[in-house]
Amino acid sequence: MRERIDHILSRVTEAIFEKLAFMFSFPEEGFEPEIEPSAAEPPVVTEVFFEGPFSGRLVMSLSPRLLPELAGNMLGADDNEATTPDQRYDALKELINVVCGNLLPEIAGKQAIFNVGTPKIIEPEGAAPAAEETLLGDTALLVEDEKCELRLYGIGGIPDRFFQTDSGADASDAF
Amino acid sequence: MEINVLVVDDSSVMRAMISKTMGLSGLPLGKIYQAANGQEGLEVLSGHWIDLIIVDINMPVMNGEEMIDRVRANPELKDISIIIISTEGSDARIDRLRRKGAAFIHKPFTPETIRDTVKDIMNLGGSDAGTD
Repeated sequence: MRERIDHILSRVTEAIFEKLAFMFSFPEEGFEPEIEPSAAEPPVVTEVFFEGPFSGRLVMSLSPRLLPELAGNMLGADDNEATTPDQRYDALKELINVVCGNLLPEIAGKQAIFNVGTPKIIEPEGAAPAAEETLLGDTALLVEDEKCELRLYGIGGIPDRFFQTDSGADASDAF
Repeated sequence: MEINVLVVDDSSVMRAMISKTMGLSGLPLGKIYQAANGQEGLEVLSGHWIDLIIVDINMPVMNGEEMIDRVRANPELKDISIIIISTEGSDARIDRLRRKGAAFIHKPFTPETIRDTVKDIMNLGGSDAGTD
């Protein structure tokens, strides 16, 4: 069950980076989740909550060095460095919004209805699970040689039916 | 005929992406207006002639579905062409939105999808693509 969600999380995120921001990514070998943020260069962290057949939170942590290219590519800017901090954060929030919106139907199927909240930029410590959260899946990618980690947390459990082998199969070819 | 467009999305980056895509589409565009939620969108509609609304669904203050309902309920606005651009993945919810007379484009989108969907929904001809 964990492996399936890890795989979906990785595949969907790779596809969204490519299609939304023209950035290419690859799974990071030997990934070990870094719950404790690095003091030397803290990651930029964004989160989005969702409710539906199961509820939870998707968290994305990535190197701040990725933000200028992310925003510049999404905006079609001639100079990535000319993008403003607000544009960079907004681009990141849109990125996790699109990842989450494409991820949930892949897990639960296209008949499931989810309400996805408004993405927020949070402190790096917020990437760790809250007391009521359970880690459902995680992955790490190298995006343009910079690290990007994602964690999917469930709140209140996740129905077993979403882990049947045919669940979400219709959507699995979308990427 | 020049098309005046209203882009409604709470993400300024997404509004810019859609506006830029529209500008590069080769479509006969007039002015492109922007709004950050459904309420702001309705305010733009009250003061400007708009031919096409491109709207997200999940937005604070007023979401896209409520905005569409209010547009369709207004005799002066009810015939405006509407395209939803959203991450929505539920077939049931997408069908419900389409029954309100809106085309649907899933994020992430390609410029060609937007161009062809606009041509299709506004009967501009030359479209060879669907609206999904």
